[in-house]
Amino acid sequence: MYKVELLTRDGASIAFDAAPSETLLDAAERANIFLPSSCREGGCGACRVTIVAGETILDAHSVSALSEAERAKGDILLCRAHAQGDLSLSAPFDRASIGFAPIPVRRARIVAMTPAGSSAMRLALKYEDDPQFGSAAQFVAGQFVELEIPGTDARRCYSLANAPNWDGQLEFLVRLQPNGAFSTWLTARAAIGDSLIVHGPMGQFTLDEASARPRIFVAGGTGLAPVLSMLRQMTEFADARPCRLIFGVGRAQELFAQDALAELAASLPQLAITLCVWKPEGSWHEFVGTPAEALAVELGKVDAPPDIYVCGPPALIEAAEAVARAAGVSADRIFAERFTVASVAT
Amino acid sequence: MFCYQCEQTYRSDVESGCASAKGMCGKDAATADLQDILKHVCEGVGQYLRRARALGATDAEADRFILFAFFTTLTNVNFHAAKFVELIQQAAQFRDRAKALYETSARAAGASPETLAGPAAFVPASDMNGLLAQAGDAAVRKDAARVGDDVVGLRALVLYGLKGVCAYAHHARVLGEERDAIYAAIEHALDLLASAPTDITLLLDEALALGHANFLAMEALDAANTGSFGTPGPTSVRVTPVKGKAILVSGHDMKDLHAILEATKDKGINVYTHGELLPAHSYPAFAAYPHLAGNYGGAWQDQQKDFAEFPGAIVMTSNCLIEPHPRYRGRIFTAGPVGWAGVRHISDEDFSIVAQAALALPGFAADAEDKRITIGFGRAAVLSVADKVIEAVKSGDIRHFFMIGGCDGAATGRNYYSDFAEATPDDTVILTLGCGKYRFNMHDFGMVAGLPRLLDMGQCNDAYSALVVATKLAEAFGVGVNELPLSLVVSWFEQKAAAVLLTLLALGVRNVRLGPTLPAFLTPALVDVLVEKFGVLPVGDAKADMAASLARAA
Repeated sequence: MYKVELLTRDGASIAFDAAPSETLLDAAERANIFLPSSCREGGCGACRVTIVAGETILDAHSVSALSEAERAKGDILLCRAHAQGDLSLSAPFDRASIGFAPIPVRRARIVAMTPAGSSAMRLALKYEDDPQFGSAAQFVAGQFVELEIPGTDARRCYSLANAPNWDGQLEFLVRLQPNGAFSTWLTARAAIGDSLIVHGPMGQFTLDEASARPRIFVAGGTGLAPVLSMLRQMTEFADARPCRLIFGVGRAQELFAQDALAELAASLPQLAITLCVWKPEGSWHEFVGTPAEALAVELGKVDAPPDIYVCGPPALIEAAEAVARAAGVSADRIFAERFTVASVAT
Repeated sequence: MFCYQCEQTYRSDVESGCASAKGMCGKDAATADLQDILKHVCEGVGQYLRRARALGATDAEADRFILFAFFTTLTNVNFHAAKFVELIQQAAQFRDRAKALYETSARAAGASPETLAGPAAFVPASDMNGLLAQAGDAAVRKDAARVGDDVVGLRALVLYGLKGVCAYAHHARVLGEERDAIYAAIEHALDLLASAPTDITLLLDEALALGHANFLAMEALDAANTGSFGTPGPTSVRVTPVKGKAILVSGHDMKDLHAILEATKDKGINVYTHGELLPAHSYPAFAAYPHLAGNYGGAWQDQQKDFAEFPGAIVMTSNCLIEPHPRYRGRIFTAGPVGWAGVRHISDEDFSIVAQAALALPGFAADAEDKRITIGFGRAAVLSVADKVIEAVKSGDIRHFFMIGGCDGAATGRNYYSDFAEATPDDTVILTLGCGKYRFNMHDFGMVAGLPRLLDMGQCNDAYSALVVATKLAEAFGVGVNELPLSLVVSWFEQKAAAVLLTLLALGVRNVRLGPTLPAFLTPALVDVLVEKFGVLPVGDAKADMAASLARAA
């Protein structure tokens, strides 16, 4: 067993023991320390920290989560790293981002399933009353949960699309993956009233409430879910700052959530919406191109530097980040959540 | 940003004050700068209001706004930058109104109105970026290089004392008690600060005038509390939870607590007090609510742990708020002057959403062991046994009184107060008030002369009650308050405590031990004035200080 000391961005020291056989993320969780993470499979980069002293061995991971260059300068992924001796780590997150209680595990029942465009499904659940957690749906807008596929141990990550509420309601936008385990269960077997196990909430893709900048939200496909949650939260708080949503899909028939967007347009009067389709067929009168391309156009027009929130497939995140950086937006003003292999693999 | 208004401000050998991107309290630079600008614009309101009042014209709404606006700038109250942009625009509107009032009144009186400069003429930008660019005009230390640290420090003492007066006056105001003399004193101080004063004597006199105004504010609040909720009396309060749904109410605002109790009547929800709302239990109107179940947690600085573990909804009605952790950010609500970006704010006193939240949250699964403390020794309770107390002092059964009160905080030096309390001899009585009591109020001090040795007098503003008791006892003994066998051991943290200190100084109460550290804005020269002119003593070693107190009395 080795000693691990992790120093947070705001200077807090967190200590736990780790065996070489377990990942650092698992080792911390054994000590009831829940470090920021998302896919837990080396795919998203949410758990990236920097080694100050010591050695680790890394399991296989995606280079989009940790590039060769980042790895060379000592960055590791907590979900992939195994201690080879005592470790001193430096983390890019604050102590407040660390959970010191176990992630809730609760039951919820399906209350609605409706098609969302040609390739996604809107899924609504309601938490069952629980002696430990009550019936409330408490999370921070932008967070996700893991849903267990009934009858298996497999879990899939889905962002919540609604705002936190006291009625226990959870809303998801599920992209239907051909042969995807959750997609197959949802389309072939799930029925209203079915009970699922929900792990969470988790995730750090949340609004920087302290910032006063205008916000631009960039969403690709079902990456709209956490953005909807954030916009609904802004509505509830009557947040009057300027904001724009850039929402894109491949083909027009894949568009969904138009009713939700219409409601937001009515309740958040300052919200501007750009709909993008990059493979238009027939008559499409709005933006033609990717959300990243629409972002480039938008950044050419803004007069105050915005905060940019991006959620979607990795290619969209990378393109949007490149566009934003090229327009002079600093890296710490770009908040991104990748929809990664974690939600489709195995 | 530059802010050194509270006790926990950043200190180093070179200079003190929070001056980086974020203060020790968690306030970011933008919020700090906007608070300075709000203060600046309010000074402009005061310039006109004071002159209008001299002509017999007043604007009560503007005065009330100033109370609220200054309350938002107290330590650990409002961290929401966007809220300050809004308040600054409102302040500018009140200033325009006050200007019109003054000019109309002057002309009506046959005089030509003065053209005022300084804050009266400052035009705040309409958006945050514009305002932040103006922050230099409103900074506390903007002319420090020219006027020196003594002047800046004394202005700060006046400003922070003024903030405390405003906070207490606001608490009284929401319960319907207002005093013209308080508004006049506030306008006077604002007008003085607007003139960038450099005269030490003038500033010191203003600080004492605010001390008197704060006595009035505390008297008004005492009248408001007792008028609304009855006279507090000794009450046994449960300090452990009972099974069931739960709401925790923190801060100081008894009106909000009352509204929450009304909103949760017969809903199967237990309401708990936190921190400075503990004294509510001793008022008959609150004791009458069967679902006011008890007091939960420690002093404010423990809230991140206490709130995370509390299984219900939480309401913060005034200071002291610390950054709400993700574990409870979704179930904490702010009210009144309090604010944090991303936390739900209740502005209309409709607490039904809090009840809804409490019902959706798990609540306490089981009763904890029943533990209780006794509180409620306000002036009425203590004076009702005055004969017994006087007799016990004369017979020597009670040797000395220690008034150990004020704010609590996280600093390690605050052990002084628990060390002091626990080391007091068995033939002494401890009077306490404020949240500093949480360091020792679960300790069993036993009895002396048929009285509990620890008498909890209430909230920090119940310093009024303590002063009334001291004055009455002094009358009974035919001596001055300073001749009583009484020592004051005061802990300060924020600006309400600064106002209470000014009251003690204004009333000539000497030999106040003040800690855990002295305010960072007081220069060595100013500390010398407090020590020499007013007999203020910085705290030292608890046992030595106590021995000195007892020796003085002997």
